Amino acid sequence: MRRKVVLAALLLGTSGLIAGCDQVKNAVGGGAAEVKETEYPEKVLWGDTHLHTANSVDAFGFGVRLSPEDALRFARGEEVTSTTGLKAKLPRPLDFLVVTDHAEGLGATKALYDAPRMLITDPTMRRWYDMMHEGPEGSQRAMAEILDARGRNDLPEAMLNAGDAAERTKSVWKSNMETVEDYNEPGKFTAFHGFEYTLMQGGNNLHRNVIFRDGADKVGTVAPIDPTYKATPDEIWNYMEAYEKATGGRVLAIPHNSNLSNGLMFELTQPGGGPMTAAYAKRRAKLEPVVEITQIKGDSEAHPFLSPNDEFAGFGVAGWELSNLLGNQPKTPNMFAGEYVREALKRGLLLEAQMGVNPYKFGVIGSTDSHTALSTADEDQFFGKHTGNEPNPNRAMQPQNLGTRKGRFGWHYLASGYAAVWAKANTRAAIFDAMERREVYASTGPRMTVRFFGGWDFKADDLKGNWVQAGYKRGVPMGGELSGGKKGAPSFIVSALKDPIGANLDRVQVVKGWVDKSGKAQEKVFDVVWSDPGKRKPVGGKVPAVGDTVDVATATYKNSIGAPTLATVWTDPEFDPAVRAFYYVRVMEIPTPSWPAYDAVRFKLKLTPDVRVKQQERAYTSAIWYNPAKS
Amino acid sequence: MTAWRTRAAALLREPLVHFLVAGALIFVVLSGRPPDTGERRIVVDEAVVTGLVNNYVQAFRRPPSDEELDGLIRDYVRGEVYYREALRLGLDQDDDVVKKRLRNKMLAIAGAEAEATRPSDAQLQALLDKDPGRYALPPRYTLEQRYLGADTPALRAAAKAQLAALKPGADPALPGEPFPLPGQLQDSPVLDIATQFGDDFALALEKAPEGVWTGPVPSGFGLHLVKVIRRDRPPPPKLADVRQRLENDWRSAAVRKAEDDNLNALLKGYDVVIERPK
Repeated sequence: MRRKVVLAALLLGTSGLIAGCDQVKNAVGGGAAEVKETEYPEKVLWGDTHLHTANSVDAFGFGVRLSPEDALRFARGEEVTSTTGLKAKLPRPLDFLVVTDHAEGLGATKALYDAPRMLITDPTMRRWYDMMHEGPEGSQRAMAEILDARGRNDLPEAMLNAGDAAERTKSVWKSNMETVEDYNEPGKFTAFHGFEYTLMQGGNNLHRNVIFRDGADKVGTVAPIDPTYKATPDEIWNYMEAYEKATGGRVLAIPHNSNLSNGLMFELTQPGGGPMTAAYAKRRAKLEPVVEITQIKGDSEAHPFLSPNDEFAGFGVAGWELSNLLGNQPKTPNMFAGEYVREALKRGLLLEAQMGVNPYKFGVIGSTDSHTALSTADEDQFFGKHTGNEPNPNRAMQPQNLGTRKGRFGWHYLASGYAAVWAKANTRAAIFDAMERREVYASTGPRMTVRFFGGWDFKADDLKGNWVQAGYKRGVPMGGELSGGKKGAPSFIVSALKDPIGANLDRVQVVKGWVDKSGKAQEKVFDVVWSDPGKRKPVGGKVPAVGDTVDVATATYKNSIGAPTLATVWTDPEFDPAVRAFYYVRVMEIPTPSWPAYDAVRFKLKLTPDVRVKQQERAYTSAIWYNPAKS
Repeated sequence: MTAWRTRAAALLREPLVHFLVAGALIFVVLSGRPPDTGERRIVVDEAVVTGLVNNYVQAFRRPPSDEELDGLIRDYVRGEVYYREALRLGLDQDDDVVKKRLRNKMLAIAGAEAEATRPSDAQLQALLDKDPGRYALPPRYTLEQRYLGADTPALRAAAKAQLAALKPGADPALPGEPFPLPGQLQDSPVLDIATQFGDDFALALEKAPEGVWTGPVPSGFGLHLVKVIRRDRPPPPKLADVRQRLENDWRSAAVRKAEDDNLNALLKGYDVVIERPK
């Protein structure tokens, strides 16, 4: 309510000076107005590159009835009514959105639901049809069965009928395209064309989101393609390359939920086995410049098994570390290395040492993967993974097993994350280009502003001047590369600012990965700047915990600890010019209540002791890579 | 047009929908009366057969053989008999699935009509006039800001003293803290400033005099000194400035309104009596 009043005050002003300013030129609003790119990115843009609506096979089955139009309106800050009848509005609008409905069977569940029953001859499909019409619970049961059948590659022939499906996909794609164009407003809000390519081998998640830089004139010449059941992304890459060749347009893919791939997302070998080829590595690096590191179905930064010395590793792995996506194959520890992003960045260095190309030189973003058409990543405003998980008294502790028997519960879902992009303007072109150059970062929800520059001559004094400009002039931003042959060690400008309506910051860390002389990949986490440095002296190389102001009983916290902003210039004390390395930043907030804690207050629940009631939210930046000089 | 509208339109063209709606209407009209001979006659005419063949081709990518067509017709007749007998026996009554299905069809019909029409300029202008605040272009600011640090009484006092002692035209000597948001904002919409710095900061700008340093101004991060260099208030928006937004709003509201209107019109024909358990 307060926000509404504030907005009105901001828009209309209080002094009635609205008339008589004809000399003011009006840069926005017309839609066709030219949007100028700034010299360097000045303002971070927040968005979601991964959102499902009723056009997604599973989202519809789980009950959502909201369309891409509802999704776009919600992202732009409008109030919409959720499928379960709740009013929903973002406290702050997003700057961009990609609706990524599953290409496979685009609109199919809705079509099945809408179809006259007598046309459905397959007995299994008839059963699903009837279950869906029973109501939300039946619908969710039907969906669990459909996903399970999909994982076993056992969907009824009629559901896969190629001719029908392709036609339906085309018609849904085309009409959505018009909606996306209607809501795209250069300079103010960017709506991208995109889809999810749900590549899955067994129940192993190899999903990618495909995002186009272009408008309907080019994107309209293609339609989303169905994934294969193989473990290789070759076909989507072929599709992307063919699109670029035919239209002169641009397209990229963002893999997600590596944590549910059972080790297949970041392999050391070619998919399916054998040594990785340089051609494969090159293609992957070019077409997949960004990876989604955090989302509702868990966080893929680091796992304690791989990073035993990192006390903050393992955020949001509970429930997800048990098995693959569909829960039809348990996970064993040897699979983790192919699933977590920090390890992938290290594997990238290893592979580059072997064949001269790094397939895993990618940036990172967060997104929601919400199946409610509502892009929510704030703990106190979380609309859940799918419609069955919209705010209700049962969602925190209910089992969420997708047709399997054990392991996952509602609270395992994270209210995470968003994509932060350092773009030179809020346009498709500028945001896409920032993704291509990896000048992006991930947040588990809070909108922290994070800058990260690497160079060779940054000094503490730089922070007194216009250090952002200096960062671009004398160094490279996140996602960039430093080449060897310079004197001394690389220095980094690191700066983090809290979310203006969020929690204070605990600390800022630099995570370094490298390949040592014996050819083994190593990692180390450095605390580089933290709040209350006077009282918090490092012990054994680690800064002590920041403390905890969370009151679980009321789901509140206080900003009496931590700092609103942290900045430093950091030089790698262990730099070896002969060793290839990467550096990325992790920003830690002070502890805050999690969404189940807010639910417990709202619905007067007694949570079981295993439920996560508080957490330290965080941001991860894309890395800066160091390449030794060729000798 | 969205997928929804396309699908709804397609649904409207479906003969089966016509059939079901007509069937439902006939049933409503005739319920309670003895059946006439028309209800006891099942005619499989050319149109029905063509429909069966088309559906088959759609599913199997080839026309049915004679034998298969006989089977389809037999199944059609079987379906009709069961359907009509079920209606006669009142099996559709109190069936949630049937009710939901028919309700969805009624909604689709109501919504599709609204979507077919495009808003006129007059309608859009009326929408704009009804809520000019919603479409107003935000004031824009060119300003300088200096971040002093977290909000403490000591820092507030220091900032005030500093400003009081400041000579006109001079810049404050208080060193700012390193801060990643721009020290200078150029022609920035106030809503952008609000999302970057917090609402309180943006609201304070409204009253800040131009051309002089003021403060301390609180933000989501702490205290700032601010110099507003220029404040531009755009004139009220014209239709051409915000046409796309108006069209989007009109369309999304029109569908909902059509559904509501339709329901209200139908409701007029009913006495609704609600008896809650005591």
